[in-house]
Amino acid sequence: MTAFDVDPKLYSPLADSHLNVELDTGDMVLNIGPQHPATHGTFRLVVRLDGERVIKADPVIGYMHRGYEKLTEYRTYPQVTTLINRIDWLSSFANEVPFIAAAEQLMGIEAPPRALYIRTILTEMARISTFLLFLGEMGLQVGAITPAFLGFRDREYPLNLIESATGGRFHPNFNRIGGIKDDLPWGWIAECRNTMRKMLDSCDIFEDLVLGNPIFQARTRGIGIIPAELGAAYGVSGSNIRASGVDWDLRRDGEPLLPYNEIDWKVWTHQDGDSYARYWVRLQETRESARMILHLLDQMPSGPIMAKVPRIIKVPQGETYVAAENPLGEMGYYIISKGATGPFRVKIRTASFSNVSIMPWLLQGIYVPDVITVLASLYFILGDIDK
Amino acid sequence: MGLMTSGALRKGPLKPVGELLNYSRKYSLWMFQWGLACCAIEMGVALAGPRYDVMRLGVIPFPASPRQADLIVISGTVTDKMAPAIRRLYEQMPDPKYVISMGSCANCGGPYWDSYSVTKGIDQVIPVDVYVPGCPPRPEAFIQAIVMLQERIQHEDPADRWQGKGWEPIVVGQ
Amino acid sequence: MKTRPIVGRAKAGNRSSLASDEITSPGDAVDQDSVADQDSAVVTIDVAELSAEHADLLARFTGEVGADAVIESGVAGRELVVRIEPAAWVSAALACKTKLGFDYLGFVAGIDWLPTPAAGGDDAEGDTSAPVQPKDMTFGVAGSAGRFQVFARVGSTKVARYGITLKADLKESAPHIDSWFSVYPGADWHERECWEMYGFIFDGHPSLRHLYLPHEFEGFPLRKDFPLLAREVKPWPGLVNVEAMPGVDDEEGGD
Repeated sequence: MTAFDVDPKLYSPLADSHLNVELDTGDMVLNIGPQHPATHGTFRLVVRLDGERVIKADPVIGYMHRGYEKLTEYRTYPQVTTLINRIDWLSSFANEVPFIAAAEQLMGIEAPPRALYIRTILTEMARISTFLLFLGEMGLQVGAITPAFLGFRDREYPLNLIESATGGRFHPNFNRIGGIKDDLPWGWIAECRNTMRKMLDSCDIFEDLVLGNPIFQARTRGIGIIPAELGAAYGVSGSNIRASGVDWDLRRDGEPLLPYNEIDWKVWTHQDGDSYARYWVRLQETRESARMILHLLDQMPSGPIMAKVPRIIKVPQGETYVAAENPLGEMGYYIISKGATGPFRVKIRTASFSNVSIMPWLLQGIYVPDVITVLASLYFILGDIDK
Repeated sequence: MGLMTSGALRKGPLKPVGELLNYSRKYSLWMFQWGLACCAIEMGVALAGPRYDVMRLGVIPFPASPRQADLIVISGTVTDKMAPAIRRLYEQMPDPKYVISMGSCANCGGPYWDSYSVTKGIDQVIPVDVYVPGCPPRPEAFIQAIVMLQERIQHEDPADRWQGKGWEPIVVGQ
Repeated sequence: MKTRPIVGRAKAGNRSSLASDEITSPGDAVDQDSVADQDSAVVTIDVAELSAEHADLLARFTGEVGADAVIESGVAGRELVVRIEPAAWVSAALACKTKLGFDYLGFVAGIDWLPTPAAGGDDAEGDTSAPVQPKDMTFGVAGSAGRFQVFARVGSTKVARYGITLKADLKESAPHIDSWFSVYPGADWHERECWEMYGFIFDGHPSLRHLYLPHEFEGFPLRKDFPLLAREVKPWPGLVNVEAMPGVDDEEGGD
């Protein structure tokens, strides 16, 4: 007698009447957040449910709104650089680059090639450390703890390199208008090569451990599909849109801020557009970034790291928009300058804001447990949404 | 409860009981993580990163609810929109409860000192035991904060805590 | 298993142009240029002058939207900026999306051209950390009729380096403009943000409510006349008055 066989003598008709009546699954409003383990910080999601199925999802953001666009109007350009490190706190270095490039463009200053190479290397390193956290976190959200520990462990290696080069583990504040603050320390390049090889191994581990896992596949395949056209109309960018089959990467297709066209690399896309595809694309991009850094180290030019800049930074009157491919997507700065030491208006176009704005559409009709995996696979940083 | 609040555990024959109690509390700090910004990642590294691993000090970061927590760590920028929620969850914690404020933003507003939406210091909302300066503090600083808090717990009188005494905050690195 | 990974071409410039059938000249032209002017990476932009690809894009845009809807145009950085009639705001978006191949929404935001007031009034002495902006009201690329403007950027995921920024003037007394929500659904949050920060009202938006700030928040923070109270109350706490800031005496600064 198995557990499912019921002895008819013990089988109560009362229980039967209760069990067989279809359960009333009227609307229920479930509030997730603002402090919830599954929301990566202070994200609040109000979902209306019919049973387990989401009828309507309404994300409530702003719990991390710090007023960046207002604060930049009261800061000088070097002070703004310090501040914008903290927009997307996982890839701080990558945040600085488009802003500095925009200011350089308005001032007509050109950073020397070695500085551009070091910027590229550190940007890619920020991408690796950001994605390693994602590769671990995503595993955690489908119920696997081991990838999270692995991600946290391997993330320390690029962070160590960033720290030894810039002095800042999290917020380097290393870019200057016209170049970078310091040259690389002695022995850094050899250490970087070793670490990047380690990162390649680490990507293999993630591929074996997570992507091949049947539970992971069951939880992510065919769930949370973003159609390419709708995604673009929502402004979804970065790995999220590449996972929907759009072959578009600002490192290759945007303004040539950094010398990406001097090295050989690939843009990875996936046709499925689901949570699995987003994980897959980010994994490949992590690997590609490690390869790119190895290439860049081979071709690193010598020379100065700072262009000649005036002692007091005054950006001439003008407007410009510069966007770059951050780990999370397109990050752009529309700077309006009036010739002062600080910007008149900075519109910060952050990637996560647009990536998350598709959520009300994306979460419609899926099951509650999948909400968590879709949230995790979109990969947003709260500071990047809320500014 | 009456025994603890009466002050009888401070001296006399029951003093060893008080010490044992403190010793047990010190090494089973159930921690409610309130990760808000950059500092949350450093806190996560300190908790989950194999290199730092705060759990070896008896800090258990598992309660997803404040009702089972002894310690709350506010790590990151507190906004005016968030502050009421923090107050509410803090009030749900059982006494005796401890607060670590991690990072410049939680301490005083930090780089957002002039922002229109940031609360300039979590101590305006809830009392703070340990301040960890830094933007963000390194995981080592967070571990130091835990160690200093454990020292305070070891040497404190539970009665004082209940009567609202002994709130002088510790600053890591001072 | 239906993994169908597609690997894009390597190297910038060798762009696999997905939509080269519909959108021919500008994308390819931009690509070749991007390779060509690699060496002279950052050049000073002459605002007055439109390059060939910008002129071509402007001509096609004008052809779709109508010549009387376009007021003024200019170049910001490498981006074409067009100021259009507010009445043509939505039809311009529709033309951009359906005819010109701008399938990607960058952002929708606002500008307040009022000069930045000095913190704590004009004769503030305490706070010297904030940069001093010019006192007269000047307008940026493509001009403006008044204080408020809404501006938006759209781009393309199919053609490399292909985007356009649109600007439209708003009345200061009643800042109303039509919503882009029906064209670009992603404008939803951008317009909510813009309403919250500037008080611009987007007609036709499904629910214009607070996005970032608590419901009881008063005022529109990004308007220039919204004061930062912390700055009014006390000077910058990081300022240690030991010696004069470098370059206070010599305005030009030394090289």
